[in-house]
Amino acid sequence: MKSNTVNIVISGVGGQGVLTLAEILAKAALSDSHNVRVGEIHGMAQRGGHVVCTVRIGAGARGPIVDPGTADLLVGFEPVETLREAHMIREDGCVLLSSHIQYPVAVSMGKASYPPNKEIIDGIRKFTNHILEFDAMVMAKEAGSSRALNMIMLGAIIGTGLTPITEKAAIDAVRNTFSKKFESINIKAVKMGRKKVENLNR
Amino acid sequence: MTKPKQLLEDNVGKKVLLLANESIARGVLEAGVRLVALYPGTPSSEIGDNLTFMAPHIPNFYFEFSTNEKVAMEVAGAAAVAGVRSMMVCKGPGLNVAADPFFSLAYVGIRGAMVIVVADDPSMWSSQNENDSRYYALMGNMPLVEPSDPAEAKSMLLEAYEISEKLELPILFRTTTRVNHTRSPVTFGPIRDRPKTIEFVKEPFRFVPIPSVARVRHPWLLKQMELAMEISESTKLNFITGSGSLGIITSGVSYNYVVEALSTLDIDAETLKLGMTHPVPEKMISKFLKRHKQVVIVEELDPFLETHARRIAQLNEIKVDILGKEQGFFPRILEYNPRIVIEALSKILNRNTSINWKAIDQKASEISGLPPRPPLLCAGCPHRATYYAIRVATRGKAIYPSDIGCYTLSIAPPLETADILFDMGSSVTTACGLAEVTDQDIVATIGDSTFFAAGLPGIANAVYNQHRISLVILDNRTTAMTGHQPHPGTGVTGMQEKVPPLNIAKVCKGLGVEYVKTINPFASLADLVAAVREMTTWTRENHKPSVLVSIAPCALLEAAERRKTGKVPQPYYVDSELCNSCKRCLNRLSCPAMYLDTKTGQAVIDQTMCNYCGTCVAVCPQGAIKQEDA
Ligand code: SF4
Ligand code: SF4
Repeated sequence: MKSNTVNIVISGVGGQGVLTLAEILAKAALSDSHNVRVGEIHGMAQRGGHVVCTVRIGAGARGPIVDPGTADLLVGFEPVETLREAHMIREDGCVLLSSHIQYPVAVSMGKASYPPNKEIIDGIRKFTNHILEFDAMVMAKEAGSSRALNMIMLGAIIGTGLTPITEKAAIDAVRNTFSKKFESINIKAVKMGRKKVENLNR
Repeated sequence: MTKPKQLLEDNVGKKVLLLANESIARGVLEAGVRLVALYPGTPSSEIGDNLTFMAPHIPNFYFEFSTNEKVAMEVAGAAAVAGVRSMMVCKGPGLNVAADPFFSLAYVGIRGAMVIVVADDPSMWSSQNENDSRYYALMGNMPLVEPSDPAEAKSMLLEAYEISEKLELPILFRTTTRVNHTRSPVTFGPIRDRPKTIEFVKEPFRFVPIPSVARVRHPWLLKQMELAMEISESTKLNFITGSGSLGIITSGVSYNYVVEALSTLDIDAETLKLGMTHPVPEKMISKFLKRHKQVVIVEELDPFLETHARRIAQLNEIKVDILGKEQGFFPRILEYNPRIVIEALSKILNRNTSINWKAIDQKASEISGLPPRPPLLCAGCPHRATYYAIRVATRGKAIYPSDIGCYTLSIAPPLETADILFDMGSSVTTACGLAEVTDQDIVATIGDSTFFAAGLPGIANAVYNQHRISLVILDNRTTAMTGHQPHPGTGVTGMQEKVPPLNIAKVCKGLGVEYVKTINPFASLADLVAAVREMTTWTRENHKPSVLVSIAPCALLEAAERRKTGKVPQPYYVDSELCNSCKRCLNRLSCPAMYLDTKTGQAVIDQTMCNYCGTCVAVCPQGAIKQEDA
């Protein structure tokens, strides 16, 4: 769409911290004086269901919605939920994919099957070849808490270099938003995410 | 919570990232609103969530979580009649609940100022319908204002209070989900003082609309709407941008999509953006229609502006092509996006879209068969235990009238305990109707907040008319669905004061229910099943209503409490020695914290998601699910 706007789509499962990540990104963007819009859906969507959030940074952003084929960055917290939103990515857009699986109940009940990793990657490849895959859950636990999953993804987003958000602004936003108790874990997670993606991108 | 504190800052010119709902909460402060009353409803919930934390810090301010929307409308309406600035907030269906006082308020008018915020939900992200509240303004003769983003949510709110004061009429302030739940930069303005108290000056022949009064008030109201029309013609809320041979009329969130679409397609158009959409500025629209051969109307849901445009064109004999929903250029359902506007404009102007969406749709349709992930009752949700017991006790054969709250999610397999639902409180009353025309057992469920909001008249009805219904009240000590607001049973008010909580069991007894029992769903699953069985038997034998109150706090509250105290119970696990892969736990309980290990074929508990409720332990016939010893 507008070349002066970065469109980010974040897809995951309710409870993974998708909304919080979007808010932190936007706060960081605003603190660096960028125009920004966040689109979120609350209510029913939060109860363990599929959650999608959008963040748009740049002068051209007016509304919160990102159209299919116009996302510069698709941030996937979970494999199937990433593939579900793959049509949002623009050609040659970048996909961050956390490989940690959270099984939908339909799969646990044997009413549906979970697609193998290859099928997921092939599905995303229909839209873009630029896929960066890593297990953000393992990294979050390494940072100190499974709840820091979204902070790994925050670092990963910065690591792509596709947004104007600096690591400093992101970390400041993290500091200003969460309690001191988890600060060191969160910041560690952001840095781990960034490094991971920078290495993958090399 | 840093947000509510930030919203209180007396820091003119400060730019912060706000949800439109937060922007409205800030607007309450800047407009000098004296009283706000509301019943929470997504997508409007965060307005109250912020105000309740702000309220104790604002001098001369009163905020309440009313028991329902009708109550809220009357509380706020009376305050405005007395002469202060007041606000009522609700979601779309909430305005239906409050419709009765809504119409009266327009007739009697107000002395102060009042804004009624109604949050519609195109696409029904969290509502049972996507009805278009703009028609209330039309039907009730109430001025209507519609912001398009968080910044306008505040600036237009301030303007709405000015208009309300001038006209002595409440203003309907309509938002949609994509406005309420968009975050964008908003600049703080000055905070306005509020009066401590005012004197209520009696004027019964205005404020008591007995027929003789109402007959005088109706023409008064129509005259006020003529004044409102003058305001609509001159207000800065209605403005024109751009130029070109193509004309576009739009309002609300759609305006953003129009701006983006024009920029993406790189076309010129003159856009009339309406912020005040009732009464519409007839002269302004008439002139606009005259200037163009083609005028496109872009608005979500029903053809409200479009119908006005056609009416104005006809009245003024204007020859213009008005293009909108009537010819099928735009849909009447679901929310819009830039794509819908780009596609419609491309079709009208006979050009290609900026992006080949057909190809994208085609590729997307090739990705099929993904496992669905609908919202679910949380891991450790007390409702899961209760519904499991209801199903077991009634062998899935009873009729299960449901109500509005998280627990409606029990519609999904394997619980499947939601059979009929109309609106808030309908669990009890639909049960009454079904009881008279079927001979099946009926077990209705209602949440605690919904019980106080709309369950009481139904229960009185069941007692009075002796309906043979079993009602399980799911008391999770909060209004969970909308984000954990307090209610009369919690003992906390909107002002953050501790008050005596209303006791649900006592209320039911007071209403005349003879059979009232209380149970903790996590104490013993077998006892829970037995309790449901006993109540249904009693109801059958006595042909009267029975009530079972199932009390345990929402799992999210428990989890938050654990995070606060740092006290974590011993983890639950599946003993792989004992598990024989029968999958009963997965198939009958389906807690999201449990999944099937495809390699071993055994059930596993995801420790990061488990909420330590222990329900699964009793579901396993092998005794394979255990809690680690301390
Ligand atoms: S104890 Fe069992 S039922 Fe309860 S949350 Fe944990 S896994 Fe789910
Ligand atoms: S019900 Fe018990 S025995 Fe059966 S699969 Fe589940 S854990 Fe194993």
